[in-house]
Amino acid sequence: MADSSTPALLRVDGLTVEFPGVRALDGVHFDVAAGEVHALVGENGAGKSTLLKVLGGLHQPSAGTIGLAERPYRPRRPADATHAGIAVIYQEFNLYPDLTVAENVFSGREPFHRFHRGIRYAEINRRAAELFATLGVRIDPTAPVSSLTVSEQQLVEIAKALSVGGRIIVMDEPTAALSADEVTRLLDVVRRLRAEGRSVVYVSHRLDEVFAVADRVTVLRDGRHVRTTALADTSPDELVRLMVGRDVSAMFHRDDVAGGDVVLELDQVSAGRQLRDVSIVVRAGEIVGIGGVAGAGQPELSQVIFGALPVKSGRMLLSGADYRPKGPDDAMKAGIGFLHEDRKAAGILPDLSVRHNLTVSVLDKVRGLFGRLLSPAGELGVFDTFRKRLAIRTTGPDQLIGQLSGGNQQKVLFGRALAPGGRLLILNEPTRGVDIGAKVEIHHLINEITADGAGVVMISSDLPELLGISDRVYVLAAGRIVGHLTGDDRTEENVMRCATTGQRVFSATVSG
Amino acid sequence: MKSSTSLGSLWDTWGITAILVLLLAVAPVLTPDFFSLDNAQSVLRESAYLGIVAAGMTFAVASGAFDLSVGGQLALCSVVSLIGFAAGGTVLAIVAALATGLACGLLNASLITRLSVPPFVATLGTLFVFRGLSYILTQDGPKTLPYDQIGSPFVKIGGLNVAGVPVPFVIMVGVFAAAWLLLRRTATGRRVLAYGSSPEAARFCGISANRLRLFVFALVGVSVGIATLTYITRVWTADGSAQDGFELKVIAAVVLGGTSLKGGKATLIGTFSAVLLISVLNDMLVSEGVPSAYQRIVLGGVLIVALTIDGLRTRFAAPGSLRRALSGGRTPQPGPAR
Ligand SMILES: Nc1ncnc2c1ncn2[C@@H]1O[C@H](COP(=O)(O)OP(=O)(O)OP(=O)(O)O)[C@@H](O)[C@H]1O
Ligand SMILES: [Mg+2]
Repeated sequence: MADSSTPALLRVDGLTVEFPGVRALDGVHFDVAAGEVHALVGENGAGKSTLLKVLGGLHQPSAGTIGLAERPYRPRRPADATHAGIAVIYQEFNLYPDLTVAENVFSGREPFHRFHRGIRYAEINRRAAELFATLGVRIDPTAPVSSLTVSEQQLVEIAKALSVGGRIIVMDEPTAALSADEVTRLLDVVRRLRAEGRSVVYVSHRLDEVFAVADRVTVLRDGRHVRTTALADTSPDELVRLMVGRDVSAMFHRDDVAGGDVVLELDQVSAGRQLRDVSIVVRAGEIVGIGGVAGAGQPELSQVIFGALPVKSGRMLLSGADYRPKGPDDAMKAGIGFLHEDRKAAGILPDLSVRHNLTVSVLDKVRGLFGRLLSPAGELGVFDTFRKRLAIRTTGPDQLIGQLSGGNQQKVLFGRALAPGGRLLILNEPTRGVDIGAKVEIHHLINEITADGAGVVMISSDLPELLGISDRVYVLAAGRIVGHLTGDDRTEENVMRCATTGQRVFSATVSG
Repeated sequence: MKSSTSLGSLWDTWGITAILVLLLAVAPVLTPDFFSLDNAQSVLRESAYLGIVAAGMTFAVASGAFDLSVGGQLALCSVVSLIGFAAGGTVLAIVAALATGLACGLLNASLITRLSVPPFVATLGTLFVFRGLSYILTQDGPKTLPYDQIGSPFVKIGGLNVAGVPVPFVIMVGVFAAAWLLLRRTATGRRVLAYGSSPEAARFCGISANRLRLFVFALVGVSVGIATLTYITRVWTADGSAQDGFELKVIAAVVLGGTSLKGGKATLIGTFSAVLLISVLNDMLVSEGVPSAYQRIVLGGVLIVALTIDGLRTRFAAPGSLRRALSGGRTPQPGPAR
């Protein structure tokens, strides 16, 4: 526990960072004591990542000072941070897809062989394996990063930071892509780091994690410091109020679904490396959740439906008719919208503006006078609708999407998936990285489109979200459907039971 | 540092235009008769075929690829067009040029999409194929426009002026206007940029890579077909060696203009200015009597400058990055997983 009498290890004062058109940080102060876990919370775009990037030497502030162990600390490049003993896990991954896991973990710091000057592969592979063991996960150190799931990539980033052995470890939304058990183990690691006398700066939108692991919390709003307090002296409700500036009702209202016609039917579909004999049904107006531990085949299932992965055997029906998409373009023409779970690698179009990122899914609908030319006014209309609805924080329609905060990028991609307004929407991790208010709004929107008669397939590693939003849940384990839960059977215990033990649980009231 | 981004994007679009204006300001000092009607017309006429192909190539580069075969395409289109003229006059000459360009583009596209050959390799191969075909068709000597046909409309394309402006330049301006509409105001143009920015993300936006590449390489082929009309009616003769090294000149113009070789970004205004810049530079070297060997060295220098600027440009992304770039610091910026 740190209070104002213990000297701070890291002290930030009057920190200001400016980008064209925005002041991301405005005179922020912040301090971290040795052996403290200090949480940093705030809405999407509040400036959390910007603060961490300054600490990591990626951004230079226009004003303010940073002291590290009573000495001025002015990092100008990432190597300065590493030398000062500050390791940062950034929100966006910085991995080399073609290198192996171990090469990525030790990139820039590889131990070299004394004689032939080659990388000591045996050593980095062994040390990477040890790091993963402490995280309680099994990842092959010799696998190329391009073969990993998003949650595995996140774990590689965490291992990379831990391997530095810094005295301050800074984590920007490390759990956004992790499953529940991975989160539990990461929180254990954080506690162990603290027990070793190291400090952790912890950014998360999940307040339960913050309360579980942090000693103090600092709230940022609109780039300004709002309050720093011990967690013992505050409550989740108060934190939300401080972050948002008003009360947020997290209540999810689900309109009654009248079991509509079957929109999508999969009949014994096998695909990819592991998807086997999957049969599911999605009706109009329904939200169907897909659960299971990470890597059980959820992304593959969503991609088969979207035509991005070819069907090996079995068949698919869309509104009763044979459906054989040759690619995502066929799926979109058939009225299917899609949100990918990997925002950086398969979501954002980094060279395009926010507006163009949004409208790329509705280019056929924003035509102007001549029928063939795009209408800038039509595109602006789409942009305005979603900016208002999702409170996307941007300096304007022409800002590059890469300049938005992580959560705001996510909102844009959600809008892109929603905009065509077809009969079926496939959502992978729809609320990954968004703040509490935006999460509620996204849930409202999902509810609304089902009220309009669309079917929704939702995949989420956030179990309370999955169970809270979905009308029915299918559980996947090793590429097979091992459970189908409806009504009161939709409990975390049931999902975990099928997902981990492979025990089959099928609710009696199977509809369809 | 605050304005580094806006300054950067301003430079992207107008930087090369500013340099062009500067060059035009000093040109008369070095070449006294630079702005004489004759010389000005000749520069514009000379720039047309480079510009028309560069407009098409801008789409290829924006999609993250380039077409190395345009030199071979120009030779083949020219030879076939001359054969067409000999056989059927103006109409056949024009149709032959356009059809040959389209066929070349479609061949490139199908090699790339059907056989999954990278564009670099496929078009390097077809560069030799197209030149080889041109040599075969001109085994008994280069094809030429006969002098007695000087009155035919086709032959006139290269030499005619409208209100003092050379027709080839008028065609080039028209091509650029159409290209701008295509790039900025059509779904197809937007898809080219989206695909060049992130092929994987574009796939999940319903953009078919095969159809997109078919379009892009066919477009380059057609642009060579159009360029042929202005080229062959100016030089009157062609064989397999026509416009050796043309492809590099075109790519240099596109990159110098500010279109990034990484794809996703394009500026047709930049390409247009860069084409004029190269043509003006060329004209100054020629009128100064610089031997053609040295002209090539200058072109090589321009290419290196263009690529260096392209490389530097990607480092101007974050505040403070200019300082880092100058001090030689590096940030880990691996590309997105593709
Ligand atoms: N490179 C950049 N160029 C311009 N503006 C930027 C840049 N990086 C961040 N910003 C702006 O700075 C503000 C703060 O962004 P930051 O990424 O720090 O938010 P955050 O608190 O981490 O949000 P999130 O929870 O969504 O990750 C945002 O308005 C964002 O648009
Ligand atoms: Mg952030």
